[in-house]
Amino acid sequence: MENIVGTNLDRIVILAYFALVMGFGAYFGKYSKTTSDYFFGGRRFAWWLITISIVATGIGSHSFVKYSTKAFQYGFSSTMTYMNDWFFMPLFLFGWLPIIYYMKLGSIPEYFEKRFSREARYIATFMILLYMIGYIAIQFLTLATALYKIYGIPLMLTVVLIAIATTIYMHFGGQTSVIFTDLIQGFILIFAGLLIFILGINYLSENTIFESGLSAFWQSLSPLEKLPLAHFNHPPDFNFVGIFWQDGIAGSIGFLFLNQGLIMRFMAAKSVNEGRKAAAFNVLFILPISAIVVSNAGWIGKAIYNSVPGALSENIAPNDVFVAVANLIASPGVFGFIIAALCAALMSTSDTLVNASSSVIINDIYRPLTKNKSSDEQQLKLARLSSIGVKVIAVLLVPFFNSFDSIYEAHGWFHSTFTPPLVVGVFMGIFWKRFTSTAVIATFLLGAFLMILGQFYPVLISPFSHGIELRPGRGYSYIGALYNIFVCAGVGVIFTFFTKPDKNKNLDGLTVFDAHKLKDMFKGSKANETEGEKVEVQWKIDSNKKDVIRFSKNDMDRMSAKKGDLVYMQDSRWWYGGLKSIHSVFGKPHNEDGIVYINDKQLDSGLFVDNFPLLAEKEM
Amino acid sequence: MSFEQTWLPFIYLYGVGGIAFGIGMFLIFKTNALRVNYNKHKNWIWILFYGYFFYVSIHALFIFLAMGSK
Repeated sequence: MENIVGTNLDRIVILAYFALVMGFGAYFGKYSKTTSDYFFGGRRFAWWLITISIVATGIGSHSFVKYSTKAFQYGFSSTMTYMNDWFFMPLFLFGWLPIIYYMKLGSIPEYFEKRFSREARYIATFMILLYMIGYIAIQFLTLATALYKIYGIPLMLTVVLIAIATTIYMHFGGQTSVIFTDLIQGFILIFAGLLIFILGINYLSENTIFESGLSAFWQSLSPLEKLPLAHFNHPPDFNFVGIFWQDGIAGSIGFLFLNQGLIMRFMAAKSVNEGRKAAAFNVLFILPISAIVVSNAGWIGKAIYNSVPGALSENIAPNDVFVAVANLIASPGVFGFIIAALCAALMSTSDTLVNASSSVIINDIYRPLTKNKSSDEQQLKLARLSSIGVKVIAVLLVPFFNSFDSIYEAHGWFHSTFTPPLVVGVFMGIFWKRFTSTAVIATFLLGAFLMILGQFYPVLISPFSHGIELRPGRGYSYIGALYNIFVCAGVGVIFTFFTKPDKNKNLDGLTVFDAHKLKDMFKGSKANETEGEKVEVQWKIDSNKKDVIRFSKNDMDRMSAKKGDLVYMQDSRWWYGGLKSIHSVFGKPHNEDGIVYINDKQLDSGLFVDNFPLLAEKEM
Repeated sequence: MSFEQTWLPFIYLYGVGGIAFGIGMFLIFKTNALRVNYNKHKNWIWILFYGYFFYVSIHALFIFLAMGSK
């Protein structure tokens, strides 16, 4: 084994980290009693819990390697992809999020069936599954590449070991395990990323003639490396306009509207408003921090390279920057911790995708095929088994992705190939009522065909190139996304105008034009929008088996609630973030103020404990 | 540093991105998905515009800082 890095202490730290996360995740298995719990965490969590767990989902192990590489080569413009997601927030927060939440969609393909047809759902299922499993394979490959250098275990064996480790806690815990392990891993990722920056500044302070490490950092980077956006159309492998269309448009829509893992995370929120808060906070605050976290090893590396001759090899491969810089600036043990953060990135991204994949398998393949006749228990068992199957297929795909020149290239190929048809399909479906089932299938199939044609004949992409140079034998890179979106949208529009809209199709609640009445549809009657107070109550057991909970008349008045309204009730200790909570319906009121009657099933689902008061609020 | 390295990407980002943002705002207002007279939604209008100008400011600031540095 060549170039093994790290010490035994580092190896022990990494192993200890794996053990800690597996134990933590397996513990939360007790909160997954139904498929709804397993996939959506029972729709009960507070926005802050969702937000922090999204950090870990958004940062994959490939992110550290990929963005450090670009940060080393091009400076601050490596942050571009993390800071261009706001443009679609209005449509996401007030269009798509209410639709998926209030229409109780189990998956993205389910939307395609409701909005279009069963055939559209099957094609979307196939494309989304392929996309997610391939993404998991890339995650495995990235981490295995790093660990392989530390432990000296053959690459494929490392991949298998990683897959087994992540399976252990995922298998039992589902979405609740994912959210809670991602919560701690999110903190670790941010801490490790910022630690790299502090250690790097300290290293520069000790090894350069500048007044301080910060001064050394700033002055060691050239003005070009400090620009936040790349050159408009040069060079071909890293330019602004190509990345804008690939990531800022196709990637952002894909991330917000089609990422089944992310969507499931928002659906685990206790309400649409909590989902909105989580999404807005994530894009406004967490993504800029994430951009720094994943890039700064590259920036520090570049500053060291420019100001401390010989510290980093003259011939350092950009892909090795992350591990090389971490090894240079961190002492034994701390380096292990940083690599453990890389493990955190892998585990948290892949667990979300695995959970999302098994959700798609159950919701979009198993349930339609069996006409939903099996019990929830059987489906839960199958969900757990399918999460293992997904990982087996992902492991088998690793050699294919290992054949690409770089992980960056493999990842880019994935995005540009699988996202555009789905992006166009879902976007036109939400915002254009006239868009037909035939048109969406044509978008998927003919659009995909034209995209492939563009890969073989780059001359087709030239009109969209914005002056980006054509790479001989390799075609265009990112700007291909603009061509892909254009041809998919073009096919969709043309086929829509040449096909008759299905007049029998009920589109209620499936387009943005119905967003204002989604709450009524969700509740089944007129939503009660009167604002009320939150009320603290003690629980008592009721023999009533109906899914209602009963408050006193006065407490209901304080909440501005009426019989039949929807109620959310949680343990009053805020730090649980909704883990111990239930949704139900207001039943017939009684006269005991400060008391709520619940039944055994609700107690079991909410995991409430004696002597701790509950906090209740009217939902609608 | 040339225009293609500094302000052109910025103008393109917030011009084309701004069109997408503007269409989104128009659609959610027009369809009543975002209701101006609904208390819970009022704050969201501000947050949505704040987010857009927050990113405009950050990018503009760093372009100025880079142009002013040696």
